[in-house]
Amino acid sequence: MNKAKREPEELLPLTPAVFHILLALADAERHGYGIMQEVALRTDGKMRMGPGTLYGSIKRMLADGLIEESGERPDPTLDDERRRYYRLTDFGLRVAQAEARRLSELVHVAQFKRLLGGAESVGGA
Amino acid sequence: MATAPLRSPSLSERIYRELLWLYPASFRRTYGREMVQTFRDCYREERERDGTWNIARLWGLVLSDLITTICVEHWKTFITFFKSLTGLEKELLMTNTLLNLDVALHTDIGRRASNEDCMTSYVPEDPQIMAKKGALFVVADGLGGHAKGDVASQLAVNTIRDTYYQDANGDIPTSLRQAVERANMLIYQKNEELLRNATSDEQKKMAMGTTCVATVLKDDKVYVANVGDSLVYVIRAGQVSQIAQSHELTTEQLRKGEITEEEAKKRGLTNMITRCLGDKPTVEVYVASETVQDGDTLILCTDGLWTLIEESEMCRIVEQYEPQESAKRLVARANENGGPDNITAVVVRVSLKA
Repeated sequence: MNKAKREPEELLPLTPAVFHILLALADAERHGYGIMQEVALRTDGKMRMGPGTLYGSIKRMLADGLIEESGERPDPTLDDERRRYYRLTDFGLRVAQAEARRLSELVHVAQFKRLLGGAESVGGA
Repeated sequence: MATAPLRSPSLSERIYRELLWLYPASFRRTYGREMVQTFRDCYREERERDGTWNIARLWGLVLSDLITTICVEHWKTFITFFKSLTGLEKELLMTNTLLNLDVALHTDIGRRASNEDCMTSYVPEDPQIMAKKGALFVVADGLGGHAKGDVASQLAVNTIRDTYYQDANGDIPTSLRQAVERANMLIYQKNEELLRNATSDEQKKMAMGTTCVATVLKDDKVYVANVGDSLVYVIRAGQVSQIAQSHELTTEQLRKGEITEEEAKKRGLTNMITRCLGDKPTVEVYVASETVQDGDTLILCTDGLWTLIEESEMCRIVEQYEPQESAKRLVARANENGGPDNITAVVVRVSLKA
């Protein structure tokens, strides 16, 4: 695996689950359930991932070098069970940025085709 | 030490845990524990929010997720396997198996006046030694009725470790057996010496003895050699198996067909063992080996632990916590259950990377 040589664009487009996980980890490291909670919060509960989708994505994201494990510790807001935390790698951050740019360009096309109304209504979601 | 109450899993969690068997083994071993943990968190959240309807909704999501991802994971496993067959991923096959061990040791005096248990863990830093002899873990229980039980257990543990690594023989079962036999001989000689110098009948009864269980992990194999009732448990994906041979009196008699199962049940376990190190010039050492898998956890322990904790509880603890915390909790749990004897646990989590 030559992770260092890869360009972020090679991995695009991302699956919705992978992009949501990258977004959830963009501002903090989180454990599996923490990722689920963050995704549900940011999408008003519309995006609901099951554990199979979550860990299947995590497995491939670890293999692709998008995220890494950052140790095990209890989450003080839950209980004293130890949880494995994940965080974004530099490459993961660049892939997330590239995907965000790609989606934003698509939104501009949609705007241009008048699917979204005026430009001012875009971006509030 | 903060020890959270150990709760029993909900019916939903137990069902989900069973359903995980449908995933490919490698996926289940790597993420099974975290998936159960995440399911438990989701279940708790839904239950706290508003009972039955939300739980049904959670199960709806989880089942559709299971069906899809089980197919996906099997498909991906098949593709990887196919690639490896056709030589597309040769480098994967050529890499040696890499054994990584997370080890924790914990011992406690229990309600005894002294701690006669002893343990050691040796994971060679030199890759050549590791490749040839593997990593060694030993637990010994100096016999309570004997004087100097702590001397015997310490001598057993040190002798087994030193003899095993000084022996260049790559035949692990033989090397391990000889190390245990040597420990037996040394303790026996010490006893002879004590007897010769004894001036009273009281001193003549002071012979020392010890149990021992020695385990070597090398590549994807675990080797065990034991005498007495210190045992080794292997926990794999919610299943527990004990791989040493218990030489506790009832168990031994039942194994030899000297008593029936009913008689054994009626009598229960005793605190007597049929063999130990130091009692006779030679000893019959039980030796066995098993294959280990990525994610397996080994628990080496004295009877102060295994007679006080159900196997299901052992399993729950090591699946929930890392070795360090598991070892502490196992010992704490045995103490909560009365802990009349010294309690010792060595917990080893195996990770095998291909």
